[in-house]
Parts: sequence; structure tokens; C-alpha cells
Amino acid sequence: MPDLLELAGISASYGRIQALSNVSLQVPEGSIVALLGSNGAGKTTTLNTISRLVPVTSGNIWFDGKAIENRASHQVVEGGIVQVPEGREVFRDMSVRENLEMGAYRRKDTAAVRNDFERVLDYFPKIRERLHQRAGTLSGGEQQMLLIGRALMARPRLLLLDEPSLGLSPVLVQQIFGIIDRLNKDGLTILLVEQNAAVALTCSRYAYILENGEMALQGPSEQLRRDDSVRRTYLGH
Amino acid sequence: MSDKAAAMLSRSEASPPARWTARSNVSPARIGLLALTTAVLIFLPFVVTGYVLYIANLLLVFVVLCLGLHLVIGETGQFALAHAAFYGIGIYTSGLAGNAFGWPFPMSMLLAGLIAGAVGVVIGAVALCMRDIYLALATFAFGEALQWVFLNWDKVTGGPNGLRISPARLGTLEILSDKQAYPVVAITTLLMLLLTILISRSRLGRSFRAVRESEVAAMAMGIPVRRAKVTAFGLSAFYAGVAGSMFATFSTYIHPDSLGFQTTILVLTMVVVGGLGSIAGAVGGAVVFGLISEFLRQTPSYQEIIYGLILIVFMMYAPRGLFAFIHDKAGRVFRG
Repeated sequence: MPDLLELAGISASYGRIQALSNVSLQVPEGSIVALLGSNGAGKTTTLNTISRLVPVTSGNIWFDGKAIENRASHQVVEGGIVQVPEGREVFRDMSVRENLEMGAYRRKDTAAVRNDFERVLDYFPKIRERLHQRAGTLSGGEQQMLLIGRALMARPRLLLLDEPSLGLSPVLVQQIFGIIDRLNKDGLTILLVEQNAAVALTCSRYAYILENGEMALQGPSEQLRRDDSVRRTYLGH
Repeated sequence: MSDKAAAMLSRSEASPPARWTARSNVSPARIGLLALTTAVLIFLPFVVTGYVLYIANLLLVFVVLCLGLHLVIGETGQFALAHAAFYGIGIYTSGLAGNAFGWPFPMSMLLAGLIAGAVGVVIGAVALCMRDIYLALATFAFGEALQWVFLNWDKVTGGPNGLRISPARLGTLEILSDKQAYPVVAITTLLMLLLTILISRSRLGRSFRAVRESEVAAMAMGIPVRRAKVTAFGLSAFYAGVAGSMFATFSTYIHPDSLGFQTTILVLTMVVVGGLGSIAGAVGGAVVFGLISEFLRQTPSYQEIIYGLILIVFMMYAPRGLFAFIHDKAGRVFRG
């Protein structure tokens, strides 16, 4: 499979603090790739450089063969990279339905949007029951589902998922990852950032591990799961 | 969605770019409220005279000021505090254009709005890099600076002595009384109200609310956040400019006393007391609070204290504003 996304030697900084240095990674089309690491390792920053919320100081980002490191964030969304930001960033005072509509903000293919709306509700039957409820009143798990659903409404080719398991019960984590798996089987390419390394290494095919803004380790997820140092540091056994 | 899925979905580029989900938030209650407002505006001049019409004109100016502030604070969530400055730009633009060129008032009104809006866009482009208290302070500083200009640019504004302005005119018609000004003021207010409703229901309005509720999520959905904020700020300045021009149509004399921070705060109070984020709230807040402030005119020493008390009471018992409060109570009564 050709790479849908490639980061080549990306560096980024917040003011004088270097957040990423020389980070490279590849996401083949149709795969789930996991990006792991502890708090502050630079996982979210990496996603933010891809979605163009954080400027890169050097390096290239290739998406579908085109350099995108100088694009604006809304252009990247139009191009098909959609991020699900961490921390339950739903539009709290809008209804669930309006939240989903906002996902299609940049789309003009009205009929296809209507179809996608139905498809999203098929993935998340719970959301269908809550369409007219205020998004802020949803439970944590439902909000996470709404976030993914909203991102799907933008018709992504590459989904950037930031900590989908954060603050969810093990049962809900399973549910969410079940859906992530289904989305991938239906052809969606996913770059997944997770603290929960056990879950992430199970569902992904390949994984990268960031430490202090640098790529420390990479390999097939299967292999990393058995790696002693990974087990000690990230899997806790 | 995935390519495979995308292939399954029919792409119909020819379909109308209208809202794709049918949603009826055009409730009968809202239409009734709008109709009632219009009816009151039409019949008012037949039942009252003189001073009352002057008050009505003044209240309508405040309504337009509140609608403008509603767009930037209520819809977009940006606490910009320079409204009085744009109001002043509107007043002086309109007055000076009338004095110098004798333009018909619709033209000077549009010019007043456009100049205020343009200044708003420039100031907004700088100030909206900042957030929260920094944005509030930066816009506050701009407002104070502009009041200083109004006070000291004697040659143009007349400085603290004020400026006599010629009556607004259209062709041979001259507006010489409050009664003559009223239709102009009322129609302009209705137009601005309709514009606000249209903006609020448009894609632009949705992007404003998205920015208010989560900038991160708005960006992730591909909304150009900076542009949305600057647009909202520019629009609010446009409203304030038009409001200033409305004021100029029924005034013979303008001076910079009322173009400072206290006016900005008064408008902010109206919007908050009425109900932040709701158009009905902005209009209602302007009318109710405008009347209160007019009644308190005789006792200026108590005015500020009573404003403060009203604000505190509202923050404690009706933080979502007068109209949400009435709505809740009324709903409870009807439901029994």
C-alpha cells in the first residue's frame, strides 16, 4: 500500500521550547497507525502539525503525494485530513444534530452529506436517539462517539484520533475501539494517538513511540507488544 | 468517509446548497414576537407624541447597538469593549457628511456603517489575536483612545464644545422633529433586526457559534477561526456605525461626552441582562434597560448604584437573562 501520509524530519516549537525534533512517520493507505508515548512526549503536537494548527519549523508533510506543510488548517480539512481533538471538544450548547452538521461545514455536496449523516448514525445508534439533545448533556462515551461522528461528516480520507479512550470505562473503550476497527475495515485510514498502549497496540498494524519530542521506537504493533522495554514502560508488566 | 464508502454514496453536485436538514426552529412564538414588535413600531407614533417618541428613537438606537454587540459577544463569544467608539464614528461620519456635502441620509447612514465597519475590521485584525481579558483590555484601550480623539480633534469634531449638525435630509424633505425621524429610525431598526436574524441562521452565524463554543473544534471542522472573529467584530462595528447615524438623524447637536466606556458598559449590560446569545434578549434588554435608565435620569447619583444592583440580581437569579427567565416561568405556568 502506498503511504497516504508521510512526515519527513518534522520539527516544531512553542516559542523557545522545542516540542518536536526531526520526527518522521508514515501512514499507509487503509491502515491504522498508532502514535504512543507518555504525557508531553509530543503526540498531540504531531497531530496538530499535520492538521496545521501548529506551524512546523522544518521538515515536510506529504499527504497523498502533495506537500501540505504550508497549507491553512481549513484547506487541510477540505483535502480530507480531519482531526478529532482530545478533551471532549463538542459544541456544548448546540444540539447533537447541529454538531454533526458542523462537521460538514466545508462541504457543498448536499445530497452526499445527507447520506453520510445516515451512515454516521448507523455507526452510532446511540447518537441517533439523542439527535435533539444538547451536546453538553451527553455522557462521556456518547460525546466521544459524537466527536468521531462529527469528524466523519467532513468525509475524511485520513482521520487523526487524539486519545479516544481518555476518561472512558473499559467497556466503553472496547465499544469505541470496535467502531474504530469497523471504520478502518470500511476503508478509512487512521492515525491514532493513545496513552492506553495496550489497546492501541492491539488495534493498530504499526506503531511509533515518541519520547521528549523525538521518535524513540517504531515497528509492527505485534512486535512492540512483545518488546521488553515497551512492556515495562508502556504496558506496565 | 472512506473511498470505498464514498464510491457507494451518490454525489449530486446539482443539488441546492441549502441547509440539508429540515429543522423548524422558526417557531410560531418567534414569528409572533417579531410581528408584535413590528406592530408596536407601526402604531406607536399614532398614540404618543413628542418626548415619548424621542425616547422611542433613543431606545431603537440602543436596540441596534445591542444587536451589534450581540453578534460579537453573544454569538461569537468575543468580549470586545469598544462599541461606543464605533458608535461615535457613526455619529461623526453621519453628522460631518451631512454638514459638508448635504448628502441624503440613507447614503450617510450607509457610509457611517461602512467606515465604522472598516475601522472595526482593522482593529479586530489586531485585537483578536488576543483572548479573553487581553482582548477586552485592548479594545477598551482603543475605545478610550478614540474618545480622546473625539474630544481633542477640535477642527473636525468641535472637541468638548460639540458640533452643530444640519438636519438629515432626503431630496426636499428635512427631518426637523422626533416625529419625522421616527419612521426612519424604526425602519432602519427593523432592517437591522432582519439582517441579524439572517446572519444568525446562515452558515456564517453557525461558524460564529462554533467559535464561541470551542475554537479547537471549530478549527478541526475547517472553520477559519480568525476570519470568523474579525468578521463578527467588523459587523458589530457596522451596526454601531449605523446606530450612530440613526442618532444623528434626530439630533441637532453632537458631543463626545456619551462616547466613552460607560456607554459600552451600558450596552453590554443590556445584552447580558436581556440574555446573552439570544436576539430577543438583546432587543428586550435594550428596551427594558433603556427605559430604566431613562426613568433614573432625574436621579443621576443613584443611577450607577441601581445599574449595579440590577446586574447583581440578574447574575444571581437569572444568569441566562431576562427573556430566558420569563420563558422558563411562563413555560412552567402553561404546563401547570
